[in-house]
Amino acid sequence: MTYTILGRCARTGRLGIGIATFSITVGRYARSVRSMTGVVISQAFPNENNNQIALRLLDQGFSAKATLEHLKTNDAFYTYRQIGVIDRTGSAVGYTGPAVRGWCGEVVGENYVASGNGLVGQHVVEAIAKGFLAEPDADLEHRLLMGIEAGRDAGGQGTADLHRTERSAALLVHSRDPYPDIDLRVDLHEKAVDELRRVWTEYKQYEGYYRRRGEHPRGAPSQESFMAALQRAQ
Amino acid sequence: MTFSLIGRCARTGRLGLGITTYSLAVGGRCEGVAANIGVCKTQAFPNRTNDPLGIKLLAQGYQPKHVMEMFAINDTEHDYRQIAIMDRDGHIAAHTGPGCRGWAGHKEGEDCVAFGNGLVGPQVLDGMIKGFLENPGDALEYRLMRAIEGGRDAGGQGTPDAHRPERSAAIKVVDRRDFPDVDVRVDVHPTAVAELRRVLEEFKLYEEFYRGRDTDPSKAIPQDVFAKELEAKRRVRA
Repeated sequence: MTYTILGRCARTGRLGIGIATFSITVGRYARSVRSMTGVVISQAFPNENNNQIALRLLDQGFSAKATLEHLKTNDAFYTYRQIGVIDRTGSAVGYTGPAVRGWCGEVVGENYVASGNGLVGQHVVEAIAKGFLAEPDADLEHRLLMGIEAGRDAGGQGTADLHRTERSAALLVHSRDPYPDIDLRVDLHEKAVDELRRVWTEYKQYEGYYRRRGEHPRGAPSQESFMAALQRAQ
Repeated sequence: MTFSLIGRCARTGRLGLGITTYSLAVGGRCEGVAANIGVCKTQAFPNRTNDPLGIKLLAQGYQPKHVMEMFAINDTEHDYRQIAIMDRDGHIAAHTGPGCRGWAGHKEGEDCVAFGNGLVGPQVLDGMIKGFLENPGDALEYRLMRAIEGGRDAGGQGTPDAHRPERSAAIKVVDRRDFPDVDVRVDVHPTAVAELRRVLEEFKLYEEFYRGRDTDPSKAIPQDVFAKELEAKRRVRA
């Protein structure tokens, strides 16, 4: 049980993933973005090696489609995997193996893959795609979060009779740097998507401050004085 | 304001980082933990390019002390950084620039280095090292957890007059594979260290289940079934 949006911003080339699931600490698996290279996810029964292999293949210049073919021939349990790949050109592919459980599938378009398994139905992945596409000019992290929230609001994980809550979630976006622009997680929570929104709303206020503090430490205000200024502005 | 410990398990060769701070989402700024290569963490006023660069340099075979010299040459604001580096053999280099604020320093212990800034005093580093060395037979993630808790219990961040809470925390441990064995985080919380303990304990209950589901899915039981079995065991213990 998981639902995921992989996305690329056509305007900036930024790449990212938003993911929510019943499993705990999903962010451990979802470190699957590489700057200017691609974004991937191997979920359902996740072959953990797949994410790193796929990123290396993309880095070597393989397309999203060719990368997926390599993962297929390399994995004895391929039919248990659900995989999405976007390369740096925005070409996207998705695969859902026949052994994946519950309702499972994906919607794939240029620059995005909305996918999930153990979901209440196809409308969840359709809602994720719609949420992601709603504001194409907005920052990628906002669009990914909109996608995940739309998946939650469409019913998320479970069956027609039984809803399964999201216990962990993550949001990861890379730009040009060799480290992420945005890397936020909720590892263990009874409403992880709601909590991810709270974490993002809090973090967003500090984002520029943290960046400037590292790049220009001389005379950087203390975090307390930054927070006091924040409060005065509100 | 941050206190961290990088450490190595001499028995297994596993490497890891435990960190907590007043800033939010600190686990999202810990790229420098690489299996069978080493650990590199830059904090205080962090140069974000240091840690990925440090891992590349360690992978090329440079010693931590030499990597630190390269950082000094490569960074006009090296004086504002606090950095600890450990390679896979346990060699260490540490630097606390004079521009770091509050009480700031680093201290080496067996298979570890504790470092922090904006702390109530050197007793925080002592508390971390004591926590790390307490049960050397434990898995590295538990030793890192005890280190952070030891730092917190020794007073943590702030001044004698004003304590600063830990608002985020993280533990990362790598073994032989190119993704972490353990990677647990708390991004925004009023008592992040206590919350990290809760997350770690829960993760450890699921760890083997998640691994088995990955390596042989044909034998995996559904997670609801596994979670119910866990609950039943908890009730028996309680």
